[in-house]
Amino acid sequence: MVKKRLYLELENCIGCRSCLAACTQCGGHEQRNRNYVYDVNPLVNRQTMPLMCLHCVNPACARSCPAQAIQIHETGAVLSALVEKCIGCQNCTIACPYGIPKFDTEQNLMYKCDLCIDRTKDGIPPMCASVCPSNTLQWLTDEEIEAKQKQFNLDNGKWVTSMPYLEGETNVRVNLPGILQGVTKLF
Amino acid sequence: MQSTISATKRPERSINNAFASQYAKSMFLSIVGLAILVFIGTRMFTHIDLNLYGYMVGTITFIGGFFYRFIAWGERPPTKIIIKKGLKLLFRKSTAKTAVNHLAIYDFIKKRGFYRWLQHVLIGWGCVLACLVTFPLVFSWMYFTMADNGYYTVVLMGMDLINIKADGIIAWFSYNALNISAIMVITGVSMALYRRMKNMQARAEQKFVYDFLPLYLLLFISVTGLLLTVQNVFLHGWMQPQMSLIHQFSVIVTLIYLPFGKLAHIPFRPMSVFARNYREHYGDEHMKECKVCGEKFVSVEQSNDVINVLDVNEMNFNMEKDGFNLAELCLPCRRKYRIARFSGSPTHQVKVKEANQNARG
Ligand code: SF4
Ligand code: SF4
Repeated sequence: MVKKRLYLELENCIGCRSCLAACTQCGGHEQRNRNYVYDVNPLVNRQTMPLMCLHCVNPACARSCPAQAIQIHETGAVLSALVEKCIGCQNCTIACPYGIPKFDTEQNLMYKCDLCIDRTKDGIPPMCASVCPSNTLQWLTDEEIEAKQKQFNLDNGKWVTSMPYLEGETNVRVNLPGILQGVTKLF
Repeated sequence: MQSTISATKRPERSINNAFASQYAKSMFLSIVGLAILVFIGTRMFTHIDLNLYGYMVGTITFIGGFFYRFIAWGERPPTKIIIKKGLKLLFRKSTAKTAVNHLAIYDFIKKRGFYRWLQHVLIGWGCVLACLVTFPLVFSWMYFTMADNGYYTVVLMGMDLINIKADGIIAWFSYNALNISAIMVITGVSMALYRRMKNMQARAEQKFVYDFLPLYLLLFISVTGLLLTVQNVFLHGWMQPQMSLIHQFSVIVTLIYLPFGKLAHIPFRPMSVFARNYREHYGDEHMKECKVCGEKFVSVEQSNDVINVLDVNEMNFNMEKDGFNLAELCLPCRRKYRIARFSGSPTHQVKVKEANQNARG
């Protein structure tokens, strides 16, 4: 099985929030979404961008968890808190540089994106990438991501994937070629 | 802290140096403690029940495994902080209430679903009941003597506790406590297994050794335990010594497994009381204001602790240009700040509340 990654082309986002709805439907998510969609400049234009766990290679959330409740799957996915281990301290929510983990006070339990591990461990794309109508969220092999890099690398050489633009190496790759190159896309 | 520092300065005088590690010391102390308790309980070893010898070995192995796990775990920087501050805050007024809530009636599990809660109560309290009966018997802290008058005397820690009528109601409950607990555990485990079989979700997180083995072990213990009663009552004790051995074996295997698998949450769970105290105490003391929107979102103490823990792990989220650490931003501002970094427009500075992020409204 070829390893695939979640790849985000942020600027494609049209703000439909299908990814949020799809997230609630993933097995084990208990009808709650774990991802976000933000208005980039709400008083000026309608551009939106999704934000989700980037599945850090050295995840701050897991490092700060006193209970070792956040496990890292062999695929690199950083899993949601194990229900029996999480002691509800919320360290992870403070540690994550992107503010991803959510906390349920009633259940005394943290929950976060697990990259739909039941699906992705078998090479099936995560729910969000399966439904995204604008190709903002894609599920690609490293070769395909490299091809994209070549495609977008034409003029000013700007290309965002993880380092050095993020706080650390991540398993999810992020890009916004159009904005960086000053190209307007027709969506 | 003071004592450990001085201990390293004057090594030749410190008791700490008699042991290769903290682990060896704790281990030694608990075994000595256990031996003393057995000694007192058995009136100087005169009342040891040799049938129960296997359990004793199992318990001691368990203590070894437990300390091994606990110390490896307690060495992690975030865990160390919670343990240290949790112990300091142990005598808060709310501790008793939180402890009952988290450790006895599991309110938070009820919020995760009634079915899960019921299953957890049955398994949890079934096991507690069984342990409360078994272990005092094993270590001879408690035993029964019978006089000619048809009354049992319950002897606890070498003292006569009560006299009970051999065919009375208390006696009935004492004989049947283990049967009742076995039925509770079997019901709970069956519910848990049913949920796992029926619910095809979250399969990746279910590993046999982690998720199913503890359930099968508990089932194994309960069924063999109940069979002992069946043999006793209906089969005049046929094959009972063999079954008793099998039962002992099941308990010993479980005790050895306990510190390492899913059941390890039992000894570690009291930490959730520590965590609650930590949040409440420092939250009352001084809340941190978000460096962008000013919203109070976490205690100053915890924000600093997290920054320090990440520092130990060589992670530093100081945004030099913007003059804050990411742990000083409330969650919505931190997410907006990231969008700002991606897009180049200052999303976090725009004074508009984040759009609804909950797909269910
Ligand atoms: S993005 Fe946040 S939640 Fe996701 S792995 Fe990294 S630190 Fe953890
Ligand atoms: S809230 Fe739970 S998962 Fe998060 S750090 Fe605390 S114990 Fe770990």
